[in-house]
Amino acid sequence: MRANSSHREKAGDWLVGVDVGGTFTDFSARNLETGQVRVHKRPSTPDDPGRAVIDGLAEFVEKHDIDPASITRFAHGTTVATNALLQRRGAKVVVVTTRGFRDLLEIGRQIRPHLYDLQRDNPAPLASRDLRFEIDERIGSRGEVVRPLNDAAIAALIAELRQHPEIEGIAVCLLFSYLNGDHEAKLAEALRAAFPDLLVSVSREVQPEFREYERFSTTLINAFLQPEVSRYIDRLRNKVGDAAPKATFGIFQSSGGLMSAAKAADFPVRTALSGPAAGAVGAARSGALSKIGDIITLDIGGTSSDVCLIRNGRTAIARMRDISGFSIRLPMVDIHTIGAGGGSIAVLGSDGLMKVGPESAGAVPGPACYNRGGTLPTVSDANSVLNRLPQELVGGGFTLRRDLAVEALKPVADKLGIGLERAAMGIIDIVNSNIVRAIRTISVEKGNDPRKFALMSFGGAGGLHAAEVARALGMKQVLVPEAPGILCADGLIAADLQEDFVTSCHLKLAAGVSELEQIAQELFGLGQHWLKTEAVDAQGEQLLLFLDMRYVGQNYELPIEIEATVDTQGHVALPDADTLAKVFFATYERNFGHYDPEAPVEIVNARLRVLAHLARNDGVQKKVETEATEVRTIQVWFGEGYRDTALIERAGLKSGDSFQGPAIVTQLDTTTIVPPDAVVRIDEAGNMIMDLNND
Amino acid sequence: MTDSTIDPIALEIAWNGLKSVADECFISIMRTAFSTNVKERHDHSTAIADAQGRLVVQAEMALPIHLASMSGLLEGIVRKYGDTIRPGDLFIANDPHVAGGTHLPDINMAMPVFEGDRLLGFVANIIHHADVGGAAVGSMSGGLDEIYKEGLRIPIMRLHSGGALQTELMELLLLNMRLPDERRGDLNAQIAACRLGVLRLSEMMEELGGDVLVQIFDEIVSRTEMRMRTAIATLPDGEYSFEDVMDDDGCGTEDIRIALKITKSGESICFDFDGTDPQVPGNFNMTWSATQAAVCFALKALLDPEVANNHGIFDAIEIKAPAGSFVNCVFPAAVAMRANSCQRVVDCVFGALADAVPEQVVAATNGANTSAVFAGTDPRTGQAYVYLETLGGGMGARATHDGKDAVQVNITNTSNLPVEAIELEYPLRVEEYALVADTSGAGKYRGGLGMRRVIRPVDHVCEFNGVGERFRHKPWGLFGGRDGATGRFFLRGDDGAEMKLAPKASRVRLAPDFAAVMETPGAGGYGDPAERSRCDYEADLASGKFSESYLAENYPQFAAPKRAAG
Repeated sequence: MRANSSHREKAGDWLVGVDVGGTFTDFSARNLETGQVRVHKRPSTPDDPGRAVIDGLAEFVEKHDIDPASITRFAHGTTVATNALLQRRGAKVVVVTTRGFRDLLEIGRQIRPHLYDLQRDNPAPLASRDLRFEIDERIGSRGEVVRPLNDAAIAALIAELRQHPEIEGIAVCLLFSYLNGDHEAKLAEALRAAFPDLLVSVSREVQPEFREYERFSTTLINAFLQPEVSRYIDRLRNKVGDAAPKATFGIFQSSGGLMSAAKAADFPVRTALSGPAAGAVGAARSGALSKIGDIITLDIGGTSSDVCLIRNGRTAIARMRDISGFSIRLPMVDIHTIGAGGGSIAVLGSDGLMKVGPESAGAVPGPACYNRGGTLPTVSDANSVLNRLPQELVGGGFTLRRDLAVEALKPVADKLGIGLERAAMGIIDIVNSNIVRAIRTISVEKGNDPRKFALMSFGGAGGLHAAEVARALGMKQVLVPEAPGILCADGLIAADLQEDFVTSCHLKLAAGVSELEQIAQELFGLGQHWLKTEAVDAQGEQLLLFLDMRYVGQNYELPIEIEATVDTQGHVALPDADTLAKVFFATYERNFGHYDPEAPVEIVNARLRVLAHLARNDGVQKKVETEATEVRTIQVWFGEGYRDTALIERAGLKSGDSFQGPAIVTQLDTTTIVPPDAVVRIDEAGNMIMDLNND
Repeated sequence: MTDSTIDPIALEIAWNGLKSVADECFISIMRTAFSTNVKERHDHSTAIADAQGRLVVQAEMALPIHLASMSGLLEGIVRKYGDTIRPGDLFIANDPHVAGGTHLPDINMAMPVFEGDRLLGFVANIIHHADVGGAAVGSMSGGLDEIYKEGLRIPIMRLHSGGALQTELMELLLLNMRLPDERRGDLNAQIAACRLGVLRLSEMMEELGGDVLVQIFDEIVSRTEMRMRTAIATLPDGEYSFEDVMDDDGCGTEDIRIALKITKSGESICFDFDGTDPQVPGNFNMTWSATQAAVCFALKALLDPEVANNHGIFDAIEIKAPAGSFVNCVFPAAVAMRANSCQRVVDCVFGALADAVPEQVVAATNGANTSAVFAGTDPRTGQAYVYLETLGGGMGARATHDGKDAVQVNITNTSNLPVEAIELEYPLRVEEYALVADTSGAGKYRGGLGMRRVIRPVDHVCEFNGVGERFRHKPWGLFGGRDGATGRFFLRGDDGAEMKLAPKASRVRLAPDFAAVMETPGAGGYGDPAERSRCDYEADLASGKFSESYLAENYPQFAAPKRAAG
């Protein structure tokens, strides 16, 4: 039943973020005028993910007395694409490619996923061989036409495709189309005219970058996902439109920004890795509230952990990633995932050493202490044995069984000939060392010193390990956001509308920057056009130019941000070649520890990232004073023995509060360990800042 | 369990740290090297060794054949330089006969790590360089019959002494190699990775102390040996033997026999190559370390793919190979193409152990490391170029599923170069990249198909050098599975004429009105084709990977039912 809106006291427009996860669908709303924040959580409905979104939205507005007509933005993060890909549940797609290259998508990079495992293979391509067709045409490496594309060939192809009524989508993948898109465009136009009901993905439109296998693979995935994702978005947009008629609709993409529903329907592959990206954007925003811009995020879930590096408030960007054996080449938030989580199982190998993960007890049977039938020792069990996981999780009608955790760990401890607590600590130390290795990969190996970053933990188990992981890396600060469980939904509200443009070139820096300026000019033109058409309600904009630079002859590029100036006539000017070279050398040295000032440098891609800032209220919500809850003392194992440890409820803490460890801070969806010599304070933004006092 | 003062948890954590160091060095080379071979194909490796030169930790993506080379170099450094090794020294070597290498293009580097005056260990790395001089461009051509023709031989030398680059030595090296600029870039990437590794290892040493680090090295090696022996113990005791025959050595020797007898008892296993043919004039000979790499790869893959690859594996496996034989050659044997022979030794191990571990083995793979070198002068720039490519082929069928089509097998897993990268960098045009129909060995589970690559020079005449194996001797099937098809090289003229090339095609003139066609072998099937499931058969039929006659001949049980009369 809906409350009558005339009774509402809370005025002002609301922004709503909805993040669909595997287990929960999270809602976060922020009032544009007052900065008030409201949250809601409900179980996901994997069979029809939209149901949890729509039902949850109704519950949400009812619970918090929000007038649906006052919702002006609906930002959505969806795993529909990710799941369709993981389960290979997508469209029957036809691939049309250059003559001679029908098998290219099947051969891929001709490698096996594991050197020594004789039984494991890469997955079969998403389009079976009988649905991959060749057409006579060829573009060369300078964009020249080597063999023209004839109308007769197109007509013959269309006649052949008509023999396949079962097809649901078409991927057009021609060689060198990133340099010259004429053939792809001509072919796509003819196919769209001949098959008006089929969606056509074109490699140059999906991602106009060189390296054909990755471009084709990304295009095929796009076509594979398109029918299901566009159906989902259409349905959802209609229902959200009914429920919240004034809301603009934004879909979150893996690159860390929002796009329109229409873009998402055209390029569903852009949502394939968007889940963890929203968390990183939420983390960056949460850090900004505490004026911390250099952050490494640590999100520990049940089976895996995600880490991401944020510099100056911006998430690191990756250009390529594999998802269950399929290559995707697109700009995306650089999330590094490892198979280590609360459910990771500890095993003793035949070499007498203990390994933790990647095997996981998952949700079923789960860790032994969950009492759902699991008997193998997991990371959560180790935490339970050490009393680091309180017996009763806050708010859950759920009691942990430490006795079952003890039972599960005992055989391991006995085999190692050590005490139970030492074995438990060993499991935690090993999983921490795996996480440390992952963080080194995204920081040290890319020229970033983790000691200059704060570690931000979220996810169910992030806070249990954050302090020890940070110490092992020499990091000085751990930051736990106010509501770590809805960081993703928060990120959706904070996200900008975003579009990435790229032009592949191959320009020697020594030749000067005039040709580059021309390319930049075109990119800025595309960006401005996009701003005018897709971002009409933007409150501000940012155009960021990046050049992918390398030494001539290398094959790995460094994306380097360049300060371009635009005069009143809209002419784009770049720094001169010497300045660009200096920036490249400095970045190269930071990444690899050396550089060669003599070797020639080239630019292979120019990229433009356009951000349209949307209305949001970054003010800190004034927290309602809550009664300080009773602090209990429990016995928790630290280092060499059990210590009296304060068990503190986060809900009872307010800005300005400060205390010394050892302590365990519990809240709805996470538990944070404060080691003995660490000091915690709650800052103005409501974030919990832990100073580790490392030397 | 071994007696030790390091607790197993601390050990696992330190081991993780060492892996991080090796991986960081690996990535550093991948990103800073100049040659395509490294950048796109990752034909390089990194490792950490102890003060005796024993390999302790390798990068996740390190290649088995490189580990054998590094092991040879490191033991050689300790033997040759012993007490004179100083901080800031950097050693370089490549020679198979005096420096533990497996072929000349693989240039090894190693740098010591000290605690005060005490040598704690080494960091090492290796890159396959696209050319190290010699008679043929790319240093990998068939038809070379002594080591001197294969390129510059580098004994173990100091490239840096006490921190200073020996510039004269660098000049000598570069003068003897084609494309010296590219070589300099790659060598610098190796030097930088050595320095990075030393820095990281020193940081660990400061944290843990040198004594502990040395103990950790010992523990890692001994526990790896223990784990490998535990895996060996699961094999049924007994004697297993197998023979396979290689096509030829490119210098007139045909049908080179590799004979293997495996004796397994308890936790011990011995691989005896007695009966293998003597070393050959052509450059397919294997040094001891190459044979060791192949045998260790095969056994690890069959029994415990996750076991670490370090000196502990070598300690667990005994190998007997007569000196002067094809699998333990002596000076002046030529060795450049030894990877093909390694592939075949792995196939032999699988063949021998098929009855012992039928669930784990793989039928004969394409058994080769098919490679081709295109070399010439780029008409666009006037600069010389050398393009090396390695091609995958069929992977053998397995106990529960088909072999993979067109993939790198056994000890190699290097990726291809994208067509768009080839054509941007070289004056070549790739005209076809495809699976070769009917090359699979039929079976309950079928072998993988070979691949076809067609390349034409654009606006110039270039030189083609190709090396193929299993061009005459087919990849065998197992347990009733049929043999796969052989591979071939030929030139195709614009007029449609085909000119067959030798399996070891050397210095073939390739004009722009011809294209070089490379077809790699398929692989053997597993189990009787009569037992193939209808579902798998129908997938074969729909895929278009097989002709009607192939299917009818190999799977007659599924022949179209005769229509009832009337």
